[in-house]
Amino acid sequence: MSSDKVTPWPAVPIPKPEEVYAGLSDQAKDYPLYLESICRQSHAFEKPEALSRLRVYDTSTRMMIGHWCSSLLAELGAEVIQVEPPGGDPMRKLTPFGRKEYMFTDKESGEAVGAHFLHEMRNKMSITLNLETEEGREIFKKMAVHTDVIIENDPPGHRDSLGIGYRQLKELNPRLIYCWVGQLGQWGPHKDKPGMLDPTAQAACGFCHGTGDPKEFGGTPMRSALWMCDHVGGTQAAMGILTALYYREVVSGEGQFVEATAAEAVIRILDYSWAWYGMDGSIRPRFGNWDLAINIYAVNPCKDGYMMVGGGHDRLWYRIWRVVGDEYPAVEDDILGDPHLREVADRLAMNQQIKTYTMLGEWLKDNSRSEAERKLSKQQVASGGVLYVNEVAEYPHFKYRGHVAETESPHYGKILYGTTPFQQKETPARLKWMGRPTGYDNQDTYRRLLGFTTEDFTRLQKANVI
Amino acid sequence: MATDTAVSNAPQISFEEFCRKTFDPKGEFAKPEALKGIRVLSCTQYILGPSCASYLAELGAEVIKIEAPRRGEAMRHTTPFNEPFLYPLSKHVPERGTGLGFVGANCNEYFVAIDFHRPEGQNLVKKLAAKSDVFVENYRPGTFDRWTLGYRQLSAINPRLIYQWLGGFGGWGPGRVRASYDILGQSQGGNFGMTGKAEFQGGSPAKHTIWLADYWGGMMGAVQILAALYYRDKISGEGTFMEYSQVHGVTRQLEYALPLYGRHGITRERWGTWDTQLCVHGIIKCGKSSYPNSENPQENEEGYILVSAYSDEDFARLCKTIGDGNFATKYAKADDRVKAQAQMEIYPALEKWAADKTKEDVANILDKANINNQPVWNSKEVATNPHWQQRGSVRWIDDPYYGDLLHQGPGYKLSATPPRTKWALKPVGADNEYILGKLAGLSPTDIKRLEDQECI
Repeated sequence: MSSDKVTPWPAVPIPKPEEVYAGLSDQAKDYPLYLESICRQSHAFEKPEALSRLRVYDTSTRMMIGHWCSSLLAELGAEVIQVEPPGGDPMRKLTPFGRKEYMFTDKESGEAVGAHFLHEMRNKMSITLNLETEEGREIFKKMAVHTDVIIENDPPGHRDSLGIGYRQLKELNPRLIYCWVGQLGQWGPHKDKPGMLDPTAQAACGFCHGTGDPKEFGGTPMRSALWMCDHVGGTQAAMGILTALYYREVVSGEGQFVEATAAEAVIRILDYSWAWYGMDGSIRPRFGNWDLAINIYAVNPCKDGYMMVGGGHDRLWYRIWRVVGDEYPAVEDDILGDPHLREVADRLAMNQQIKTYTMLGEWLKDNSRSEAERKLSKQQVASGGVLYVNEVAEYPHFKYRGHVAETESPHYGKILYGTTPFQQKETPARLKWMGRPTGYDNQDTYRRLLGFTTEDFTRLQKANVI
Repeated sequence: MATDTAVSNAPQISFEEFCRKTFDPKGEFAKPEALKGIRVLSCTQYILGPSCASYLAELGAEVIKIEAPRRGEAMRHTTPFNEPFLYPLSKHVPERGTGLGFVGANCNEYFVAIDFHRPEGQNLVKKLAAKSDVFVENYRPGTFDRWTLGYRQLSAINPRLIYQWLGGFGGWGPGRVRASYDILGQSQGGNFGMTGKAEFQGGSPAKHTIWLADYWGGMMGAVQILAALYYRDKISGEGTFMEYSQVHGVTRQLEYALPLYGRHGITRERWGTWDTQLCVHGIIKCGKSSYPNSENPQENEEGYILVSAYSDEDFARLCKTIGDGNFATKYAKADDRVKAQAQMEIYPALEKWAADKTKEDVANILDKANINNQPVWNSKEVATNPHWQQRGSVRWIDDPYYGDLLHQGPGYKLSATPPRTKWALKPVGADNEYILGKLAGLSPTDIKRLEDQECI
């Protein structure tokens, strides 16, 4: 795909260390330079990987939760083999608004893959295996002996009915850690139905109902643009797998069964919703871009977009109004002089929030995101604009630290991507490669694990088993 | 494990029954804990750091939360509309309570108060760190280093210590001095700008209602800690330093946005409650409220439901169900349906069909037609739902300090070593005597003196 008209990334050069730390005393530079020397991702390949002894088969399809989970493990060094049905995981075909021109094409085979799937195929190998055939299942059983972890997301009980579920495979490999992932669960009155995808979980856990503007402000329940519950659920699944691994290695010698759902992961982090309902029957309301429990702590419109300003406790509260008061003297009487805004607690009432943000909004409409941030940062107030993707990609701090980076894939060319946030000193996570065409690793994997011969490959391909 | 094996050796039970028994939340306490004997010091405030440690506490680690004497950390003073509180805040401040903002981020922990600013307090932290496996903190970068409690000093005392720093922007680079909160992480990381109704729908960027970059960021930190524990105990024998930037985490989860921007220069935009890659797979309004007589505005507003019929077969059935022959042929193919213009035609038509129905009416009709759907449930509907109750996702706990408390269960399940909730929180400094006596050798007289000096 030609990209002649697109400015290469980065459009603005990445800042250099001498610019970043210019003018600082040795003492002031000491700690950040120490951190940089132990955390920079460019040093990663000089160091070992935490999970290099772990093998994972990700046999989940169509859904992000399993792929997200195995992505995290792959970034930490696990050998993750994506097991796809012949022809590939249907998720490979997803692309925004169905636009084929946004897909990434393998130079050799011409196979196209959607950017979403590709972004989570990091460090993974791809093999194909048809679990809906008897022979495919026999092969899978032989493979199960060679792995530490299997991840799946088939409809509840499907693998069990095929004879390749947790109950059967753990007999073959008692050390196996078996993880099922899904939206609502594999048991219970609302257990998963075939084809359920995020945002099913977002709607079912209370998240959507509480996100977005209140009805009075023209709002409706809102979903995350992302398959967000899959990300949180996949992260919990990775926690479950690593816990099981730790317990197996240090204590029991045996594997176990992990179940993680996108909805419960987010129920877990819906903070005070449950305790509040339990205490007095309160139903968590939508509150737009303001916060039910902190004032000031919100995003409001400004001159060139939307601006976050935060500081509910006295120290920051007065600093914010000092900044605003420099340009809006009315602050003195209306805000600082208001006895009902003097106590942190009193500021949370609905009418006080409206008053606060009306005044702040007056100031923001004459200030751009960068102007507001510059003025507030001088007072060490947490603040910053809502950034769009083009701005995220070019943000100097992110570029310098490598939150965003470009990799060159032998298959797909240059790919801009979000890097792993697992930065550490001894066993840093890293990107080794981004994505593989469907079944690219069949030869290597089946020969290495099961001793396949050329004859096997020919026969099984013909029978649509691999 | 034992229970597990006993269950699986009974082949006559169905898979669902097997799962129900294997993951029964009532059986959690009959099974061992995976992180028994792992000690974690949590020198944390707000949500990002505290939640990270609490996920380890769910797994059985002995997590010691250290906060400022008397008033505790800031999150104890945060609660919706300043109404619900749990009393007392501490034994010294019985007239005040802990806000519900604290609930969910500090369960199962031991609560110790130490003033980090004083040398005597710093010495206590060092004594605890010498006997700990994990150290979690989320103060501004370099603060603990200045207090002589940073990685450089503590790793010299205890080389096996796994030191996890969490925060907004990270401790190095041009933005290292910037303070951060959850919504700043969301704003600058990129997920805020693409969530919410699109321009043509009359919307603006929207925050995720939960403190997502905090709570989920803490979870990412816990993943990293578990990997480091495994590596230390199985391979290296040594600890490490880890840095988690929440704004970095948010940028990691932007799906196709960065590859698309890098290749084509296209900025991913908001698309409301619909999906950019699948259609039909969006949330629609149902014109009738499920609780028209309720006085609570959260209940008497119209209902909403996710309708999911993105495969060609499901879409054909959906068209038949709503009696629309036109769409059935015009948008028979998934690639045509998912186009922006098509979505802008299809969803309003669905809302028109649902205008005289409640979300339950729509769910019943779609269930009969075997079309996936999910009503948008409010927090009451979730808390009272038998599915979540049976699974222990939301549960009543008998809290030793605060009595009956409705609480979230762990976010995932393990057959042999299930995570569990023991208590929600304790007052500030509630475990001073137990922990500082056990680990720092303080006598009751020492403790009394230090408490009087507000050092602990």
